Amino acid sequence: MRWRAALAVLVLTALAAGAGVGMLRSAGGTGREDRVREVAAGLRCPACQGESVADSQSPIAAAMRQVVADQLAQGRDRAEIRRWFVQRYGPGVLTEPPAHGATALLWAVPALTLLGAGYAAVRTLRPRRAPARAAAARPAPGGHAARRAWWAGAAGLVSLVAAVAVAADRLDRPPDQPPADPVAVTVQLAHDLETQDRYAAAAQLYREALRDRPDDTIRLRLAFALLRAGDAGAAEQTAREVLARTPDSPDGLLVLGLAQRGARSAEAAGTLRRFLAVAPEHPAAPEINRLLSTGS
Amino acid sequence: MLGELGTATLAAGLACATLTALAWLRVALFGAPARPARLGAAATLVAAVAACALLETALLRHDFSVRFVAENGGRQVPLYYAVTSLWSALDGSLLLWLLVLAGYAALLAGQRYPARLHAYAMVVVSAVTMFFFALSRFAANPFRPVDPVPADGPGPNPLLQQHPAMGVHPPLLYAGYLGLVVPFALALAAPLAGPEGRRWLRLARPWALAAWATLTAGIGLGAWWSYAVLGWGGYWAWDPVENASLLPWLTATAFLHTALGRAAGRAAWNSTLATASFILVLLGTFLTRSGAVTSVHAFTDSPLGPMLLGFVLLAVVVSTVATGRRTARPARRGAPMLSRPTAVLVNGVLLVTIAAVVLVGTVLPLVSEPLGGVRAAVGPAYYQRTAVPLAVVVLLLAGVTPALRDRARGLRRLAVPGGVALATVALVGLLSRPGLPALTAFGAAAFVLAGLAGQLVDRLRARGRVVGLAGLVAHAGIALVAVGVAGSSAYGRDTEGTIRTGETLRVAGASVRLDGVDRSAGDGGMAVRARLRLTEADGTRRTVTPALRYHPARDATVTVPAIDTGPLRDTYVTLIAVAADSGSATVRLAVNPLVGLLWAGGALTTAGGLVAAVGAARRRRRPPESAGDRRPAPTAGGGQRPASVAAGGPPHSPAAGDPPPPVPAGPGVAG
Amino acid sequence: MSRRLLRLPAGLRPGPAVVLAVTVAVGTLVALGLRAPATPTNADAGTSAPAPAPQLSGPTLDGGRFDLATARGHVVLVNVFASWCGPCRDELPLLVEAERRWSPHGLRLVGLNVRDGTEAVRALLDETRATGLTVLPDPDGTRSVEWGVRGVPETFVVDRDGRIVERQRGVVTPAWLEQRVAPLLSG
Repeated sequence: MRWRAALAVLVLTALAAGAGVGMLRSAGGTGREDRVREVAAGLRCPACQGESVADSQSPIAAAMRQVVADQLAQGRDRAEIRRWFVQRYGPGVLTEPPAHGATALLWAVPALTLLGAGYAAVRTLRPRRAPARAAAARPAPGGHAARRAWWAGAAGLVSLVAAVAVAADRLDRPPDQPPADPVAVTVQLAHDLETQDRYAAAAQLYREALRDRPDDTIRLRLAFALLRAGDAGAAEQTAREVLARTPDSPDGLLVLGLAQRGARSAEAAGTLRRFLAVAPEHPAAPEINRLLSTGS
Repeated sequence: MLGELGTATLAAGLACATLTALAWLRVALFGAPARPARLGAAATLVAAVAACALLETALLRHDFSVRFVAENGGRQVPLYYAVTSLWSALDGSLLLWLLVLAGYAALLAGQRYPARLHAYAMVVVSAVTMFFFALSRFAANPFRPVDPVPADGPGPNPLLQQHPAMGVHPPLLYAGYLGLVVPFALALAAPLAGPEGRRWLRLARPWALAAWATLTAGIGLGAWWSYAVLGWGGYWAWDPVENASLLPWLTATAFLHTALGRAAGRAAWNSTLATASFILVLLGTFLTRSGAVTSVHAFTDSPLGPMLLGFVLLAVVVSTVATGRRTARPARRGAPMLSRPTAVLVNGVLLVTIAAVVLVGTVLPLVSEPLGGVRAAVGPAYYQRTAVPLAVVVLLLAGVTPALRDRARGLRRLAVPGGVALATVALVGLLSRPGLPALTAFGAAAFVLAGLAGQLVDRLRARGRVVGLAGLVAHAGIALVAVGVAGSSAYGRDTEGTIRTGETLRVAGASVRLDGVDRSAGDGGMAVRARLRLTEADGTRRTVTPALRYHPARDATVTVPAIDTGPLRDTYVTLIAVAADSGSATVRLAVNPLVGLLWAGGALTTAGGLVAAVGAARRRRRPPESAGDRRPAPTAGGGQRPASVAAGGPPHSPAAGDPPPPVPAGPGVAG
Repeated sequence: MSRRLLRLPAGLRPGPAVVLAVTVAVGTLVALGLRAPATPTNADAGTSAPAPAPQLSGPTLDGGRFDLATARGHVVLVNVFASWCGPCRDELPLLVEAERRWSPHGLRLVGLNVRDGTEAVRALLDETRATGLTVLPDPDGTRSVEWGVRGVPETFVVDRDGRIVERQRGVVTPAWLEQRVAPLLSG
């Protein structure tokens, strides 16, 4: 019996030695050191979601792998290459940001969990005497207590539903907003340009907007922009297009009149009077009144 | 029309769930008759079924006035994927979630459990159901009308129309997630139910096992999906959706172990792990469903995020208060250092630590910004340095524990498995250099497998009924998965290159030659296929055709890999890009050894878990229950068939689609 | 004695009480973090502090040479594109038109062609009537990475002093050109 045990120990020792050698060999590296892959695995593919440069098939990731390979061939080390990428892509390019601030949590939380759970396990394993006090078994709730619990429970459940209903209403997404109306964006841009006194550029954008959406409010803004850009002829033509549809459009009459006045046309005064007749309350009315009284 | 009916059904379901919760509360507090409460649970299930049926009808009839159909339906979508598109997006998948949840509630309602424990547990399950009905009705109603009604929809995400497994994977995952609600509810009910509360653990065990097995299958199928369908080349990317499924799995695994044997001394562990598992399910739902992890902006767009977060916090507070009370605990003998209780607890500590690693890695991007930092990113390297070594230790522990049962022979029983493990490490380490993590994983797996084989021989020799076989099978499955993971990551080789027609790309003995590129239109999209002549290391030749499919409706390109599966290694070919003149193609060729073990191991583990669940349900039934617990069988609601209980859910309980892992932005997609 | 002092309300044991406190703290933190508007990160902000443009020189597709350094005094649009990228195809005519319109004011356009084949680019240029475009081939993509390109298409605006003042990820629009490029030309 004894020799069998001895043999077993011998065999196990020999195996352990072999295993040790195997481990040592492996600890030295996997023998297919792919340094490109190693560095690339530490970089995040900027064109994908949650994939490293090493794993991604996107062309940009392939290009980044090539850069890593080139730089390694030039003898730069991992840290230098990572810095190079951070300069170009920002710190978000690293899959593992350097440990600071919040990232310390990555190590602190598991460590604390290990310690806490380990302490709980040790306590659980320690022998414990029965407590001196008798177990205070919770009695079945009597009539009064049960009724109180019932009302509390019922109120809790109903208020949970109410909370969801109220919160959903308040937090609800804005009602079906189409993802940015390109025409509205263009009009806004044109408006911005007008405030910078760049009327020709604004007029250009209004024309683009009109191509997508033939709308008279945009056309009127175009007419105003053209007028301010000094293109009275085009402004007049645009205003006439609007007036052809709505002959009493105050803004249309206003622009037309001003354009005619700019072109020194005799019709200007007549058009502007019509404007005053149609819209005496218009913000521009006093100014037009002044123009007419001084001009004629 | 369908839309209004659907909204009304959701409202009815909400009312049913609320009334059911109140009815069970009356049963618990005043001992009221349980029959109306059971009927309520059944009615809630009917409402959930009706809501799902209505949305399916709308999808199949292309009723684009229903918002969900307008956003996810399409006239071009084949019938099968039209059915599965119910769970291809958030709002619809919530209905599936409700269906599974209400199914579990009805099943639990039909059980004959000690009255107060049962009633309190049902209050909890009904309250959870109620919350999700409220969420679906108020915050994510798929039946909202659309105006103007579009003529056609874009169809579901093309990635979710690629493989029939879409019909199975999400439902399985949901069945696993939601099965954990029952142990959660029983753990919360136990302290309220007085003396009969002590039985909760026994009652919870079959449910936990069934849920765990289903979850295992769901995760495994998800990994397979990622590998075989998504075509990015791997099976696990540590992305938030995957992590969210792993978290409850880890704590549920720990729970199954601490709940074994004389578990009385570990009461706090059991209740904590049981509640934590379901809370992690809720947390995972919050993380993945609110869009909080992928983009902060998506979060504020949907009211779902804040509400789910609120509910998670509520669940934590309620369960901490309910189970964390100071109670008189029974006396306990100290256990020797080397004993099963020690091993079980060490296992628990390690699994909980792994869960903490995964949790903090998943959540950090979310909290690092308010903490004043930039949006920190956590990549696979972090998990490889933390979770992987811990997992190897857990595996080793699985090999040690069986020996601790046999005090007499004790450690001597470990001699043979230890020898096998050392021999494996020596042999593998000397013949190749797989790297330290993989090498230790091989050793640990060999240790476990040899130990399991020894146990099997012992039990067969004893000629009795082979008890505990399910556990052996499940552990063997885990060991095989470990070998598969270690082998494929250590010995996998890949290369990528652009080859012209007639040229060849080689890696690790395998090679592909480009024979040509075919373009075709159809199936609501365009496809480019590369015809490649594949020559494997053993000389066998065949033609493979990896493809790129473009779906104009969603402006998305999907990679379809070609996988040649062998017994020991897969050859995996993906098409990355094709030149405009079709004269050359960029191809990735990878040789992935031992991947098959992953799927085999996953299947074994699932099978072991299911068999154990059936066994646990039977064992629970064997000791005669006190007469007071017996109640007349309900006429409606969950049936009392033991088999269906053990299997952990309605056989066709489906679940919602986690659009699976990382979607590489293909060529042509702006950065 | 100290035990008694430490006794917590509601009969909670210390462990669960800690869990409770941590949960409430983390919950508040997350809620606050999500309420606060996300700080624009470098990743999606169009503008950042002007930085000197990396060098960009080499043989062009049509056999000439291009060097960004010699283009000082011009506003240069560097458009990163490829024939395999659909949106690039759509935006090229717009860029070419912008160069034609604004070249008297000192605008130059150069295409950086990422990981592409010569034939394929020529076909693309023919198709989009952009044959006059100065194209620098970048067959392995390393130049684009040097520029910090995240995806295609991407367009950089280099001002007259050779600094990158704008970058646009994804396709450019007439409005963007008008707003971001035009002011540089007038000044």
